[in-house]
Order: sequence, then structure tokens, then C-alpha cells
Amino acid sequence: MPDELRIPADLIRRLPATFGPALNDQLRQSELLFPAERRQLEAQLKWLAQLPRAEFDKLFAPLVEVESRMDLHWESSAAGMSVRDVGILARSPLYPLWRTEVERVFARIDAAAEQPGDFQNLPRLLVCVLPAGLSVKDQPLWPELSAQGTWLSLDRPFGEMLPQFAAALAKRACPPGLEEDERTWVIESDTRLADLPGAAVLSWDDLATMRREFLRRLNAVHRDLRSVDQTTEELKRIDIARLVGPGIAANARLREFLRSLLLSGNGSLVFCNSFVEWGASEALRRAQPQVLIASFGIRQKLKPFSSVVLFEDQNRSNPAPDEGDPAGSLVDALELSTYVHLAVQRVVRRPERTLTLMASCDLNRVLVLGPSKPAAETNLTELALRWLA
Amino acid sequence: MTRRTLFRILAAAVSQRLGAVAPPARKPAKRIVLITLGGIRRQESWSEQGLRYIPHLYNHLLPQSLFYPYTVNEGVTSHFNTIASVLTGVWQHVDDWGGDKPGSPTLFHQFLAQTGAGPEQTWVVTSNKQLTANISPGVNVILSKQLMVEAVERIITAQSARARLEREQILQEMTAVLETDAERIGWGVPSESVFRDPEVKQTFLAALARFIRGNEAPATGDELTFLIAREVLQRLAPAMLMINFSDMEVAHSGSYSLHLGGITRADMACYRMWEFIRSTEALRDNTTMVIMNEFGRDPDGSSTNGFFNHRTDTESCRLAWTMVLGPASGKPAVVERPMRQIDLTPSIAAWMGFDCGKTPGSRLPEFHA
Repeated sequence: MPDELRIPADLIRRLPATFGPALNDQLRQSELLFPAERRQLEAQLKWLAQLPRAEFDKLFAPLVEVESRMDLHWESSAAGMSVRDVGILARSPLYPLWRTEVERVFARIDAAAEQPGDFQNLPRLLVCVLPAGLSVKDQPLWPELSAQGTWLSLDRPFGEMLPQFAAALAKRACPPGLEEDERTWVIESDTRLADLPGAAVLSWDDLATMRREFLRRLNAVHRDLRSVDQTTEELKRIDIARLVGPGIAANARLREFLRSLLLSGNGSLVFCNSFVEWGASEALRRAQPQVLIASFGIRQKLKPFSSVVLFEDQNRSNPAPDEGDPAGSLVDALELSTYVHLAVQRVVRRPERTLTLMASCDLNRVLVLGPSKPAAETNLTELALRWLA
Repeated sequence: MTRRTLFRILAAAVSQRLGAVAPPARKPAKRIVLITLGGIRRQESWSEQGLRYIPHLYNHLLPQSLFYPYTVNEGVTSHFNTIASVLTGVWQHVDDWGGDKPGSPTLFHQFLAQTGAGPEQTWVVTSNKQLTANISPGVNVILSKQLMVEAVERIITAQSARARLEREQILQEMTAVLETDAERIGWGVPSESVFRDPEVKQTFLAALARFIRGNEAPATGDELTFLIAREVLQRLAPAMLMINFSDMEVAHSGSYSLHLGGITRADMACYRMWEFIRSTEALRDNTTMVIMNEFGRDPDGSSTNGFFNHRTDTESCRLAWTMVLGPASGKPAVVERPMRQIDLTPSIAAWMGFDCGKTPGSRLPEFHA
């Protein structure tokens, strides 16, 4: 584990009050930050610490002024924000203005804070995969993205080559200095790539025990914010190593990433494809792996009645048989895979350095989105490896 | 430290008694049915690619309506605050979970205070559990979906002798919850006598029976809300009825197809409610129905995960629409001038013939008094 982050003592005190709890939360768990997050945070704090006092005050003055009108009673030393705190902030009439100011401040900091090394310029690869069994031949796939990219023909359906393709990516030679946690990630609905050597893999199906435990506790939440905060705090503290496989249990960063993912909502506890989308988006933002494979699945049809309680186990007491929903899953996966691609544009510092492959297991062609158009006869694996080299 | 870190923490048998139901004590001269829908973006509704999800609103209701396609939500884009703002005419900034009352008097409150009408004249039937009895003093609040949620949870968690999620068992469980636990699950009635009124009780039992035994096998919260709201309108015929549909809010869990399904069901429910009003003699000529979405949702590619949420200060999230049907709509028209959601409050009050007080909203000139 890396050393603890060192921060000039008075820096947090000088920051706007709304920054304190969030920053403290990150610092408290600094050893669990991914290398990319750590580099970013160190660069930001270093730049801020070296900023002349007058410029520092000028940078934050508009935000401090907005905060002073928001009737917030936060301590900058607080260790995090509760659901109640967030609610007070979000319903303030000044919230939109506060948000705009935060965006402005971060834009300035991120533009100025230089990160060490050449990691920002690495070529990166995103692969989004639709599962087998969808009616993908009946409709145009990703019509808007298709206008921006090139369809590359394959000699067989992508699903047949996925295991070998993923294996070739995972065992590629990586740039020096690139830590294991930032090389290859797989977020998948099933367990097809669960044992991929050299990759960090989160499989929805493999996480059933952990998901059930989280849902069980969340279902016990009473109808008040204190109960929500209390349950959230309990879930932040429980030992999840016993609820996951040995690979995740042994990797503290991955384990805590997973905990944070499932606690951050966005359907990650409820639907397999929401888990894949949100997990991939969060991995891109936080771990920033050089290669990310987001493999979607077929969601079960919601059962009559029990669907009103999404956080409950749909099978409990329900006589309706399990049934896949391929039509709905296709709609979901097309939209959510597009969202993963859009996440690259939003969170990756140089999105033009990311090659995106949009694939379907049942199709012998993939959509290539990137800076250059691949030749018609290009071998996909060679194309990907060459891009990453 | 990143932006996200900072933002994160951030019974059919019963219905045979229909003819035996006594009419309300006083017949209101005018009635308003206000339907609020959860977050729906322009791209999944009033746009070239979105019209397929709202065929009834577009093909059947639009041609007979007064339509404001550019309705702006300038407040907090959360459910309770938005609906409280529309009901008060003042942008509200209170607890999103329905833990607080709005900071200003609501249309329900003003109507009751100024007209001397009894509490049997003001009803809210809602799928969204955040619209608790706190939404307004004096109003009857029916959390229809929450009734079903409670019944289903009791069965699932073995708190009931009924052990399986089968239609008749769910009907029995919902009836049991209705009899014993309605207040605990958030239903609100201004006086116990209203709720003990056999006619009111029959209204709910009839709706539940239609829900369970209906030919179309309804099963969602909004389908139950529709049936209860229609039964309230038919049997109790209140002067003011607010209905909230929220199946589309499954978007928060990230299923786009289920979100679209919720929009399509809301489209059908609005159409069926208007058809019911048009086909009921007592309602046909004196009932105005207003349909509006609370807000849009976040744009694709946003840091708040697009359609999942409704938190951004963007046109995609703040732009809504309003459709007025019936006597207040006058001649069908599309008004392209932007309006604010709080402009609806004085417009409804003026049409109903009472004063909503001094509010920031402006009465809509097209809304006929």
C-alpha cells in the first residue's frame, strides 16, 4: 500500500466548507484510492498548496460567497456527508449556482494541476459487448454511433472469439509503471470472463451473496433519513470479504470499489445491466484502466406484483416462473453501452486516445469508434493490441 | 478530490353496489383533475423520436387541448418539491421525502377555506410515496402503490398468513392493510369520519377488486393508481382530484425499456381517464383535466448518469409540458410562449373561482375562467 497522503495542515481549513467533508472522506481512506485517483488528488492538492494566498482566495471567493448564503452548518472537519446533508444542499435555491461554481473551480484546478508521468496520454481500449440471444439482426444497432465509426467484419460471431480476445488483451505487455489495478478491467453480467488471468473482474452473477445481503439490510430501512444514514454507515463498515470470491476479497481497493458501487445506487443492486454500465462508468472515472470490457446480459422479466418492490428478491413467494426479457434487455443494453462510451468522453482526460469497440456476441462484425478507420481485412485482436502497444 | 465525490453523498363483487351509492352532499360547479407524471424527457415524449411512446397524448388528446410545450420547472427538480410548488404557486425548498409541509398554502387549502367545501371534496391519489399527507392540510391522500407495496412485502417476508404472490391473496392482503394500517403507510385523511364512511371504503374495495380481477391483468403501481383514482372520481366526484403516476421512475434503477414502458402506461392512463370523464354525464361539462410532467431527466452523457436521474440544471431536466383539457382549455391551441409551472396555480384557482393568494406565478391568459 502506498504511503498516507500528506496535506498541508491548513489547506482543508482554507477550502470552502462544502469541500471539507468530501475531501476528508477521501483522505481517511487514501490507501484505498486507485493509482490514478491518487495521482490526481496529489496533483490537485500540490497545486492548491503552492497557489499564492491571494490567488487561492480569488479562486474560491465566488463559491465561498454562495455558501455563505446557503444556510449550511457544516464543519470542514466532518468525515463525510450524510444523506440528510446532501438533501439540504440539493434543495437549496442556490444549489444550481453552487454546482456551477464547483464546476468552474475544478475546471481551473484540473487544467493547471499537472500529473506526473505520461499516463494521461496512454492509448486506451473500451469494449462493450451485447449478450447472445438478442434480436440484433432485426434492427440497426447504435445508429448514431455508427455514423461516427466503422463496422469491421469478423470471420465468426464475436461471442465465439470473446474469450480468446479478452485473454490476449489481458496478457499484453503493459507500459512500465502501470500498476495492476489500472491495466485490464472486466465488468460483466454473467461469469464468462470471471477467471480471466491478469484482469480485475466484477461479475454480477458471482456477486449474488453480497447483493442479497445489501438488499436485505436496505429493505429494513425505515421511512426516515436517519434510518437511511444509519444503514448506509453499517453497510460501509461490514466485512464484505466473506461475501465475495477470493480474488476480490484479497484486493482491498477492488473490494471497496465494489462496496461503494453497490451503495451508490443507479440500479447497480437491482439490474445486471445497470451494474455493468454504472460499474464501467465508475471504473473509467476512478481506476482509469487502460483496457475495459463491459459485457452486458439478459435481464429477467419483472414479475407481476413483486416488481413494485424492486429491492426484494423477485423469486420469494412469487409463483411466476423466471423468464428472460431479451427484447427489453436489447433496449437497455444499447442505451447503457452508449452511456459507457459517453463516460469515456466525459471522464477520460484525452478521450481521443481511446478506441471503442461496440460488439454483439451474435454478430460477426463490430463497430469501431476511434481516431482512424481500420482496413477492411484487419484482424480485430491484432488491431486492438497494435492500438495499445 | 473529484466533482463526483463532492456531489455524490450526494373487490368486483362490491362494485355491483355502484347504483346504490349516494351522491356527494354538495355538487361542485367545477371540477379539476390534475395529473402529474414523473420525470420524462423531451426525447422520450414530445420529439420526433419520442412520439411513439405517447401515442394517445399525441394523436387523441393534443388535438382537443390547450397545450404548453415549453413549461419550465425553475425549482428543485425533485418530486415533492415540484408538486408542492405547483400546488402552492411558490417554488418550494423542503424535504424531498415528504417529511415537511409546503411553506405556503396549497390550492386544496385555499379552496376549502374560501368555499366552505368539506374535506370530501379534495383528494390526492398517488403512486409516489413521497406525496404523504404533508402535501396539504385538509386533503385526503391515498398512497395507492404503497398499499400494494405493503401487501406484497407482508407476503414476501412471511408477515402474513397469505404465502404467495397470487392475485386473490394479494387482494386479501391489500384489504387487510386498508382496514388496519392505512395511516401507518402514509395515507392521510383530514377526519376519521371520511375514512370510516362505508361509501369511501367501498370506493377503495371496488378499485382493488377491479385491479386484481380486471381482464387486462394489471399489476403495476400506476395501474392501481388509475383504478383507484377513477373510482374516487366516479363514486365521490370531488371538486379537486390530483393523481400522480410514477411507473417511469424505474429509470432510477437504470432500465431504459422499463422506463419507456412506464411512459407508455402513463400515456394510456391519461387517455382512459379523459375518456372516462367525457363519457360520464355528471363530469363531462364541468371537469377540466390538466396533465403535466414534473420535469424531464438528465441529459445523456451527464455526470449524473443521464436518464437515471433528474438533478441537473439543464434544459433536458427543467423543460416540462402542460396539457389542459375540458372547459378551461377553450379552443384547442398550442401556446409556444414559455410558462412556469407555478403559473398553473393562479390559473386553476381563478377557473375554480377562488383566490390562491399572492404568489409569484402569473395567471395564464389562455386558461379560461
